[in-house]
Amino acid sequence: MKVVKRFFDSNRQHFVEGGRFASLYALFEAIETIFFAPDTVTRTSPNVRDSLDVKRFMTLVIVALLPHYAFGVYNVGYQSHLASGVSTSLLPVILTGLSAVVPMVIVTYVVGLAWEVLFAAVRKHEISEGLFVSCALFPLTLPPTIPLWQVALGISFGVVIGKEIFGGTGRNFLNPALTARAFLYFAYPAQSSGDAIWTLLRDGRSAPVDTFTGATPLSLAASTGSDQTVAGQLAEAGFSNGDLFLGLYPGSIGGTSTLLALAGAAFLVILGIANYRIIVGGMLGVVLTGGMINLLAGPQAAAFLHLNPLHHLTIGGVMFGLAYMATDPVSATHMPGAKWVFGFMIGMLTVVIRVFNPAFPEGVGLAIIFMNVFAPLLDHLEVQLRLRRRIPNI
Amino acid sequence: MKHLQLPKGFNFALQGRPEEEIDILGRPDRVGLLPEQIAFVKPRLLVRPGDPVRIGSPLIEDKRNPAIKFPSPGGGRVAEINFGPRRVIKEVVIELDEQEDAVTFDALTADQLDQIDRQDLVQRIIDSGLWALLRRLPYRDVAPVDRTPPAILVNLDNKQPFMPAPSLYLEGRTDLFEYGLAVLNKLAQGRVFVGTAASQGALLESLRELVTHVYTGAYPADDPGVLVYRTKRKPADNHAWYIQGQDLLMLAHLLKTGQYATRRVYALGGACVSRPMHLGARLGAPLAQLMDGRLDSGYAGDRRCIQGGVLTGFATPPSSYMGLFETALTLVPEGNVKGAFLGFVRPGFDRPTYSRTFLSRLNRSNLKMDCNKNGGDRACIACFACADVCPVDILVHFTYKAVLADEIEDALRHGLLDCVECGLCSYVCPSKIELMETLKQARAELQKEQI
Repeated sequence: MKVVKRFFDSNRQHFVEGGRFASLYALFEAIETIFFAPDTVTRTSPNVRDSLDVKRFMTLVIVALLPHYAFGVYNVGYQSHLASGVSTSLLPVILTGLSAVVPMVIVTYVVGLAWEVLFAAVRKHEISEGLFVSCALFPLTLPPTIPLWQVALGISFGVVIGKEIFGGTGRNFLNPALTARAFLYFAYPAQSSGDAIWTLLRDGRSAPVDTFTGATPLSLAASTGSDQTVAGQLAEAGFSNGDLFLGLYPGSIGGTSTLLALAGAAFLVILGIANYRIIVGGMLGVVLTGGMINLLAGPQAAAFLHLNPLHHLTIGGVMFGLAYMATDPVSATHMPGAKWVFGFMIGMLTVVIRVFNPAFPEGVGLAIIFMNVFAPLLDHLEVQLRLRRRIPNI
Repeated sequence: MKHLQLPKGFNFALQGRPEEEIDILGRPDRVGLLPEQIAFVKPRLLVRPGDPVRIGSPLIEDKRNPAIKFPSPGGGRVAEINFGPRRVIKEVVIELDEQEDAVTFDALTADQLDQIDRQDLVQRIIDSGLWALLRRLPYRDVAPVDRTPPAILVNLDNKQPFMPAPSLYLEGRTDLFEYGLAVLNKLAQGRVFVGTAASQGALLESLRELVTHVYTGAYPADDPGVLVYRTKRKPADNHAWYIQGQDLLMLAHLLKTGQYATRRVYALGGACVSRPMHLGARLGAPLAQLMDGRLDSGYAGDRRCIQGGVLTGFATPPSSYMGLFETALTLVPEGNVKGAFLGFVRPGFDRPTYSRTFLSRLNRSNLKMDCNKNGGDRACIACFACADVCPVDILVHFTYKAVLADEIEDALRHGLLDCVECGLCSYVCPSKIELMETLKQARAELQKEQI
């Protein structure tokens, strides 16, 4: 600890005004404050300030995401070994997973941080920890087969267009991680759609072994004919309800596990970081819309319309999106009542996009971005209602 | 007696709460007046160094209304007048002499008070130099002499760390307090509210029917602005006046006896005090006298001397004096040291917080708090903590943005003038934004425009 302190104290001279790397002060400051909180004191009243800062606030989100990374590494390796027809014992599976996930995380952080440092240096402000959360979320939404240059391009778009050009963390109106994801989806559809992208193949194979279907539960559900049931198709493909809930199926790296997303949501809600209204509202939106569609669907309708609404929560990344993406406080609605509507609409739109739009098997990302755009309007309505109740003081 | 539930606010569990006992201190060599800290008043000096003064002879007057004068807290001669940057008058220091002559007035008995014309009473208070103790919401400026208030509020409580306990300064002075209320009744023509917390059991027992409002709630439930916000029915109620409990005793003492009261009860608290307690001392007493022998000798770092509570108070150098309106001196560590190694991921069992992100939420004991900002400046991340904690339901971050965008109409609709300047929004902000200071300055701008 003393060594670290001495290291920063002896190198600070190079980064302050007049030093060789003065333009990189933001980076120096960001790294130093990770180890030691700054010694700045209050200049105006109140004289004392709360112990919570944005660094801890954002770090706790990353802590909540760590289980997703652990599970994601395992699942990527596991699906890869299944598809390639090799042993699924733990250690080799994890090594395969790590070899796919770690480079993506490194590329995301290096490129994202480079943009943030650039903007921080030009604008002369400190690096905001929101970046680290965006960079932690982004790889979890990607398919394991994505080329690394697309990862770099995606996070660049997310950080620069999704956030920095509006003024940085706190001033963005879209979730940067989702902006990055949506950019890749629409810019490079070849690497972002189809069943093949969700499974990494080993040993130079070009196609999975015959016993491995490779389809994601969502694409299975979407392609189920009206004479079958989705539940039956899923069972036939080998996805038990337990697997679906756990997330053991091909999909994005970290977004498949409903169990972990629920646990992470509970963790963040208990700590007061994520807002329960968005998460519960979103789950209600999914279940009620799914149930509504069940009621309205005729006997000839596609089987997806008859899917048990609870199933919508376990297939695909909807819980992941609700727990971590929709609850981003900056791009979500700010008002408590509007949060219910915001969450509910996300859930509703997700199901609508899934069921009625064959072009997009998963709808939660688009639903969240769409509602991000509407968040200021919802806030405005609730604020105006609230202000009407005040006794004027002018 | 009305009961109010005040749902919002925050209770601080900090080290150094003053014990409910009083040490009476002797006469200091010098006393002071801090014109800089009297809000809104534009002081003009009426004395020069070396001038002889009596207790109660005016030291400064308000340029905006020269009838408003501020009396000397002691008798002797003006020892020094200290200026700050741009010649702001920081301190007027009086060196006390042995006999301490005092300005005296005719006493006003309770019967005479019943008979006296309101205008005569106003004139008496102005002449005595104590009119400035009456303040008017929403700006908290000196009450205008030519208006009748919709109500006058007296709040007897000590929610903020650490203000003096009302039961101590009212002990044995209920008669004087009752006389003071009669004065206020005359001024407000019957509309006088006395509020106290349900937790002040002994006080409620002794005052009984004098109390009009009893509330339960966290800091700043005892702020007059909160009481107005929770009880107002029409816009005119916003302009209620208020006076602090000890100030009312001072005013009542002067009118009833014709003599200035020069002593008051100070609360000395905070983590840097070895035995936090109450002190009976002279008005404008030197901080050194209050702190003498009571500092925690085990603490070697810098400390901050805060007058008026850790949230709304101001820092003064230890060589200074207690301000005119101040009743509390709190000494906390300055906190100008780097944080613990990797502090942001530690469980934080001893880190005081409003949020739920530290294990200190499970810790029931009083915690140590310093003046460190506990984080770097960031943009607002819309965590909504400021709006959650605001005692008068202001959506603080929306209001803050409206103020910065110069949308004053918008900010007013959001309740900018309801703000009680309690400081909780700035306290809870994880981005360390100076919310309260921004709103306070916007209010001060508005106040200038309205005159």
